[in-house]
Formats: sequence, structure tokens, C-alpha cells
Amino acid sequence: MTPSGIVCNIQRYSIHDGPGIRTLVFLKGCPLKCIWCANPESQLARPEIVVTPKRCIGCGKCIVRCPEKAIISTPAGNTLDRNKCIACGFCVEECSAEGLQLMGQRLTVDEVVKEIEGDGIFYACSGGGVTLSGGEPFYQPEFTFSLLKAFKKQGLNTAVETCGHASFKLIEPCLPYLDLILYDIKHLDPDLHQKFTGVENALILSNARKLAAKGVKLVIRIPLVPGLNDSETNLIQTVEFAREIGIGEVHLLPYHEFGRQKYLQLGRECALDINPPGTERMEEIRRFLSGRGLIIQVGG
Amino acid sequence: MGQTLRVQSLRKRLRSFPRAICVERAVLITESYRETEGEPMVIRRAKALQKILHGMSIYIADGELIVGNQASMPNKAPVFPETGALWVKEQLDLFATRSLNKFLVTEEEKSILRNVLDYWKGKTILEVAPLYLSEETRTVFQQTYPVISPTLFLRNCVGHLIPDYAKIINKGFSGVKKEVIERMRLLDPTNPESINKLQFYRAVLIICDAVSGFAHRYADLAEQLAVKETNPTRINELRKIAEISRWVPENPARNFHEALQSFWFMQLIIHIETDGLAESPGRFDQYLYPFLANDLNANRLTLEEAQELVDCVWLKMNEVVKLSDVPPASKYFGGVTMSENLILGGINHEGEDATNELSYICLEADAHIQLPQPALSVRIHSGTPEKFLMKVTELIKTGGGKPAIFNDEIIIPALLNDGVPLPDARNYAIVGCVEPISSGNANGWTNAAMFNLGKCLELALNNGVCQLSGNHIGPSTGEPENFLTFDQVLEALKKQVSYFVKHMVSMLNTWDHAHQQLLPTPFISSFTDDCIAKGMDLVDGGARFNYTGPQGVGLADVADSLSAIKTLVFEKKVLSMKELVNILSQDFEGLEEVRLMLRNKAPKYGNGEPLPDLMAREVGLFYCQEVAQYRNPRGGHYRPGLYPVASNVPLGGVVGALPNGRKKGLPLADGISPVHGCDVKGPTAVLRSVARVEHAAATNGTLLNVKFHPSALKDEKDLKKLVSFIRGFCSLKLMHVQFNVISADILRAAQQDPENYRDLMIRVAGYSAMFVDLDSKLQNDIIGRTEHML
Repeated sequence: MTPSGIVCNIQRYSIHDGPGIRTLVFLKGCPLKCIWCANPESQLARPEIVVTPKRCIGCGKCIVRCPEKAIISTPAGNTLDRNKCIACGFCVEECSAEGLQLMGQRLTVDEVVKEIEGDGIFYACSGGGVTLSGGEPFYQPEFTFSLLKAFKKQGLNTAVETCGHASFKLIEPCLPYLDLILYDIKHLDPDLHQKFTGVENALILSNARKLAAKGVKLVIRIPLVPGLNDSETNLIQTVEFAREIGIGEVHLLPYHEFGRQKYLQLGRECALDINPPGTERMEEIRRFLSGRGLIIQVGG
Repeated sequence: MGQTLRVQSLRKRLRSFPRAICVERAVLITESYRETEGEPMVIRRAKALQKILHGMSIYIADGELIVGNQASMPNKAPVFPETGALWVKEQLDLFATRSLNKFLVTEEEKSILRNVLDYWKGKTILEVAPLYLSEETRTVFQQTYPVISPTLFLRNCVGHLIPDYAKIINKGFSGVKKEVIERMRLLDPTNPESINKLQFYRAVLIICDAVSGFAHRYADLAEQLAVKETNPTRINELRKIAEISRWVPENPARNFHEALQSFWFMQLIIHIETDGLAESPGRFDQYLYPFLANDLNANRLTLEEAQELVDCVWLKMNEVVKLSDVPPASKYFGGVTMSENLILGGINHEGEDATNELSYICLEADAHIQLPQPALSVRIHSGTPEKFLMKVTELIKTGGGKPAIFNDEIIIPALLNDGVPLPDARNYAIVGCVEPISSGNANGWTNAAMFNLGKCLELALNNGVCQLSGNHIGPSTGEPENFLTFDQVLEALKKQVSYFVKHMVSMLNTWDHAHQQLLPTPFISSFTDDCIAKGMDLVDGGARFNYTGPQGVGLADVADSLSAIKTLVFEKKVLSMKELVNILSQDFEGLEEVRLMLRNKAPKYGNGEPLPDLMAREVGLFYCQEVAQYRNPRGGHYRPGLYPVASNVPLGGVVGALPNGRKKGLPLADGISPVHGCDVKGPTAVLRSVARVEHAAATNGTLLNVKFHPSALKDEKDLKKLVSFIRGFCSLKLMHVQFNVISADILRAAQQDPENYRDLMIRVAGYSAMFVDLDSKLQNDIIGRTEHML
């Protein structure tokens, strides 16, 4: 058996996360807890049950099947007591209405390769390939290493989207099998970084320097969250940092609200209530960051 | 470059006329038929056309450069009593009042029509053809909830042709005349076959003169208008129009403008001769390019002038209107569409890429005009230039659903396999929605009938008993509770399919026979090979290739249903056959949980998963092989297709609940597209699933709809990825794909507020139509097509 890991989701025809037509493999588990996170389902390393009460048709089969008695019937549909739930997935097997779904599945490297190789014709036609995302791919370092190695064996273009918060010793072995790193930098200020993401940025910045020095193809991505990290100072500092370490391209990813619903489905609270930046605001930022010798782009 | 002021104002003018009925043609043809009783039918048809072309009103609108009108005013639809007398009469009081496809008609016009329509009682194809049916086939034909919908060619002429436009453009009708006279001279008077040939040749000679005379009427009119005109520029234009119409289509075109005008006269008269739909211009950019190239080389014409002329042709194509038959036809063919398929690019005779400057001009014309006609298509192959594909995706991005994309890499081999020689296969074009056929020499009957695969499955699960009427309408294929293996289910389905295919063939051959008796088409026959060489009208088998093409509909629902039966009944054994059938007969009433299990707990077609994909393949292939074994009365064979036009909505209306969780009466999936909402793994997985269907067997065409959210096509980088996606489609050897790039929100807004969305064009099936003209059920179906974001 090949190594395995917890995969959140596999998404095809991804066109904004690296060159060409790509398949995105979202791995589960992340060392950061960004308050704006749009993929909260990928934060925890273990599988979770996603609940959509409005789909519930009240058949009650999940309640009967649940070995932990974690499911409670309410007039608005069934809900889950997450203190009791062990994410065994039995309820999901019973739920025909897809009101309960399992987020996070243990897959082997072979299984992932099989899932993604079907789109080979589209990678070939577009110069695309596979992007590992998350969560944080280096949070499952061995799995990530084995996946990248296997993808390369298939001749695929590979990319990783990372927050950079991992021991460099874990990242380094993957480099021979990586064509591109999409490298998130959320904030240049260590205190604010700590405040918004739960960790300091020292390791992230140092890894970026090391990777750039090794000549790895790196693109810096800034998730642009109005009021939190879109100050002129921070953006200029980030771009200047990129230039200083020799990176030529920065992508600005506007904050979006598609993740809000997911918090509810996972039984968590969405701490943030911010309006996404408009197209004009993004263009304004792009323009003012331009002219520093770097490619500045809105979106991936 | 943008459209010129002339084109803008002509477009505005065209859109300003309400749809209405024109009675002129009905009156003239009735007079002619009265005068010619007893004469050979092909001569009567020629004389009728002659009388119409001579007597109908003509006009040249201000600013027009290409002239020729179908009825007394733009957006007026002529009446074709020889096919429509019965249904036109029945619907006469409804045309102006119905909410959809409204056609204005005055009381006076109604009374004129009532008078002439009386003459046609008992003489139309709709009344005559069914008389020939056997008792058993007649019973199948008259079923209330039918498996087969074969009425298009019973209520209309056949159309669906790509004649040899190049022949007339290059030789003129004077050339045809010369050829016919020579053939007549060589006829052996003692050979019995010569009798019919002689009548056909005589008819063509009448036609040649009638057509030249018609064009000369425009020359005369232009001269008269020039005399009255004060603007010197317009005087010159009118004089030029006069000179051109005096010359073509009688004589060979001498330049691009003449070639376009010659083309337009042909395309127009085709729509005056019969009410056939899908009269398709075919490889327009190929047969007209030599004229453009010559003019450009000789500096006689600029690219801007050429663009304006082509724009004018595009507008003209939208001026031709057909009176639509509601009900039942518009249910099957949503919107008033002429489906005039015009195709660009592809490979040439030598196998090399054939895109040229005119291909780009045509794409640009469509962006300028933004109206349903022509049904613009492109042929692609592994060597299609990137530049051309980028231009194609720019047009796709505008959201009108055009152009549709066809794949040389599978269509040419499929045609070769069906017996078409290489040069003809390489020169294929598309008829109507998606039907590939060799250019200039085929009579394909490509939209002959719709065949309801979903209904066949319903009958197979009920031993031949219809769940809507309770009547036994199909063969007895066994009580489902006695099915011990999955193969027995499949076997029962196949027996139902075979039985109904046999009756469908019997019906269509009967209609074919009746068309021979009643509806010869000497005009279009005069420039479709090999009619003149054979001395035979198209209806008699004059074309070199003769096919009949009925389409299977509901493939995805059947595949998903079989996948659910195999997985849940025979593998997991969660349900028994008896329980399943019982649940279906109750239309899942109070059993939502089981319905959702059937829908969500068995693999579905459209996700690249082998089980349902291979079911689609097996059923699709079986249908195709059943159909392909039969012969038609024109000496040709049957060609199966897998596409729905817009029939998936009404065909779904007659099908009971199915094991994929689809409730009674809901639409079936369109074409070979997955069931709405069941393709959850994105567009690449859809293409992989669809690629598992045996496209080469469906020689009459397949149809795949893919809907993209506008956010997937924001900028040039996104378009490049769509180009790659299309190249992937090409490598996967799928026949056809078409895109709607419009968000469901906008479509919903248009449903609520039709007035403000009059110009919203979308892709329906093998054609585009104005969204607000569609029936609300069809609108909902289109909204439901899975939208691929990201």
C-alpha cells in the first residue's frame, strides 16, 4: 500500500491556481487559524461531518445508526452534537438526502493519482497539472512528498499552495518534484499576523527567503481582507519583501464570503463580518502596487 | 471593428417589426394548384413556385446592400398550405392571441386564408400519409403517451439540406439550364425511366427561368428607386444592386458582392419553395472565399466593406420567418428557429486547415448582429490555429451560445465508417442542430423523429404497460419482479427499443413515400447533386446520399436509472425489483427518502465513473445499431442520432417516474448531456463521461451542453484555458459541444422581466433563440443545466 493522507476534496477544471487546466487536491489540516479562512472544513486534520439541516427530510435513519447517539432531531432538521461525534461516517452512509456529508477521506497516493489522471488530456492540452492545496499540504508532509513524487512520475506539472508555516526540513525534499509554489503571505507585521492567523510570521518569511534563494519558482499571494491587511503600508512592505528576495510575481486574492455558510455547516461560528472588496478597489490596489518591477495581478 | 451605422440601423429596423402572417404565398400557390390539376406533380410544384416568385410583393429597404424578401414585410411569415392547411386552419384564431410565438393576423387576412385553405382539404401530407400505415403501426402512431414523436415531417416539408451553393455561384442557373437541356437531348425515349426524368427536367427549366425573373424584378425595382432617390451615394448603391440582380443568380458571380447576393437569392427561394427547416448554408467560408480573396487582391474591396456585406447577409437570414405550429411542434422545437447552420473552418480536401479571412469575418458578423440566425458552428481539428480558437472563445464569452463546436477528428472517421468516401467526408458540414453530412449532395432527413428512450425503460419496468394511461402499449417483456439478474432488465429494455424502432421506421418510410407523391422540390433539387445527373427530384432519391435520421432522447436518465438498479437492487440489495416498481408507480409519493437514495446513492453519468458511463454507452450503441439496420424509400439507410432539439422537455412529460429519482413528467436530460445537477465533478469529468458514448455510431449527431458561469471566462487567460478545454474535447473525440455563458440569476431575472431582456440570446439545443420567446418549462430546464464555476 502506498502512503495515505486525509483529503478534503478534489476539484477539477481549476483555472486560477497555477498554469493551464488543473486539478486541485485539498488536503485537510492547517497550522494557521486565519479568521477570514474561506475553507474552514480544511482546518482540522481529522474528518468531520458537514450538516445541512435544510436538506434533512426527517427519515431518522441517521439517529438510529449513530453509535455515539450524537444526532438530535429538531424541527429545523437534524443537528449534530460535535462533542460526541467521532466522525465514523455511518450516518452519512444512511443519509440519502445529503444532509450529512463526510468531509475528509483517507486516500492513498495511488487513489489520488487515479482520481486525477483521468484529466490527463486536459493537462496536456493546457500545460496544466495538479495543485496541492488545503488546509496546508506540508501539514501532512510525508503524504505531500509522496504525492508530488507520484505526480512527477506521471509527467505532470505540479504546484503547491502553502502558507509556508512548516519546518524547512519538511519542505526541502519536495522541491525536486515541484514546478511552482503559490506562497501565501498574510501580513508582514508579526503581531498582527499572530492576531489574525494564530501564529507569528517569522518562520513563513524565513522559508520564503530560503526557497527564493534556491531558485524555486515562487508566486506570492496576498489574501486581501479589507481593514485587516489591505493597508498601504502592509501591501507595500509585502511587495517590497517579495522584490528584495527576488520574487517577480504577486497575486492579490480578494476576500470572498463563499466560506461563511461552511462555518455553520461545521457547527462553528464565523468570526468575521466583512464585505468583500469590489472590482474597483482591487484595481485601485493593483495600480498603486504596480511600477515596482513586479507583476501584480488580481486573482490567481 | 464595430458594425457600421448602416448595419446598426438595419438591425434596429428588423427588430422593430412585429411577427405577423403574410397571406400572399397561400393565395398564389392555391391559384396555381387549381390551374395545374392533372399535371405531373413535379411540374405543378415548379409552376407554383414560378407563380409565387412572379406575383409576391418585393421590397428593397433603405440602406440595404443585399436584397430579397420572403414575405410582404420583414418578420412576416408566409403560409404553406400544401403542408400546413390543416393546422393553420385549426390555429387561425390563436396565432394573434397566444402568449408564445405570437403572429399578428387581421380579420380580412383570416377570411382570405379560410377561403384558400378549404381547397387543400384532404390533400396535405398530414392527412394523406397516415392513411398508408398498417393497423399495428397506426396504433403506435396514435398513442397518447408515445414513445415516438414523428410528426415534424408530417406537418412540414423536410428541409434539412445543404445544397451545392457553389454550383450556382460559379455557374449560375444559366449553367444549370444548359446542363439540363443537354441531358434531355440524351434521354433515350424508349427507356421507361425517361418518362419521369423528362418531367423533372422540364420542372427544372421552369424553375431556372422563374428564378432569373425573380432577381430581375429586384433589378427593376432598384432602378426605379434610383430614379426617385436624391442621395448620390444611395443612387450608386441602388444602381449597383440593379446591376448585380440583373446578373446573378442567372450567371456566374464575378465578385464577392455578387457571390453573396447569389447565395442570398438561393437561400431565400429555398424558404419560399417549402417550409422545411434547417436549410443550412454549410461551408460558407469555403465556397465564398475565392471571391473575397480575388477582390482583396485586386483592391476592388476593403475588409471593412466585406465585413459590412457579410453583416447584411446575417441580417437577411434573420428576416426569414416560419409560422410556428403550436401545439405540438413548438414544444419540441422551442422558440421560432430556422436552424440555418453555417459552419466555418475545419480541414480541406487535402486534409489541411481551411480557416481563412472569411472565417474571421463571419465570427465578427455574428458578434455584430447577435441574433439567432445563422446557427453558427465551427469545425475544429488538431491543427486548428490558436488564433481562430481564441476568436471563437471571444464569441462564446458573449453568451449567445454561438458558435457550436464540431470535431473533425471523430466526425470524418464516423462518416467514412458509414460509407461516405473521403473527399465527401472531409467536406462535411452540419445540418440544423448537430447533424453532420456531406456538402451539396445529400438528403439526410436528419431530424426525422424523436425516440423516447426514457419511455422505453418505463415500459420495460412494467411489462409494456404505460404508467400514465394504464394501457398496454409496448410488447410484454416480462414482469419485473421475476427479473433475477440485472441483465434481464437490460434485455427487457432492449426488446422495447427494438419494437418501437421497427414501428418508427415503418412510419418514417410511409411519410417518405407520401412526400414523393405530394411534395417534390425541384428548386433545391436543381443544385443538389446528383439530381440532375440522375434526372430525379430529391424526394425520389435524386441525392447521392440518402438517409433518415431519428434521434434517441433521454440517454442520461436511462443510464442513471440502470446504474441505480444495478447498484441498489442487484448489488447492495437495498430494494427488490418489486418494491422499486411499486415505488415508481406511486411517483415516490411519500417516499422522498427512497427517491433521494436512488438519486444520490448510486453513481451517476457525467462524473467519469465507469458504471453509469458504460450503461450510457451500451444503451446508446444499442439504439444506434437497431436504427442503422433499416433502409428508406430513397435507396438510402437510417442514421441514428442522440440529440433532443428541445424535445427533452415534452418527451419527459409523457414518461412516468424513473429509477434515477426523476419524478413523473419532469424533463429528460438533453442530448447526451448528464442529468441536471448530477454532474458534480466539473466540466472535464463531463467530457470524459460523454466520451464513453460511442459517438462514431451516432452518425446523425450527438449534442452536449456545457454551461459556464461568466466568472470562468473573465479575461484572456481564462479564454486561453477554454481554448485548451476545447482542444481536450477534440482529443477525446467527442462530436459536438456548445456553451452557454450566462448566470442562472440573469436567466431568472429575464423570466421575471421579459420586456427588458428581449435581446437575450441563449443556446437551446442545436440552435440559439431569444430566451424570452421560450416556453417557461423549457426556460426552467435551461436554468437547471449545471453551471460550472471557478
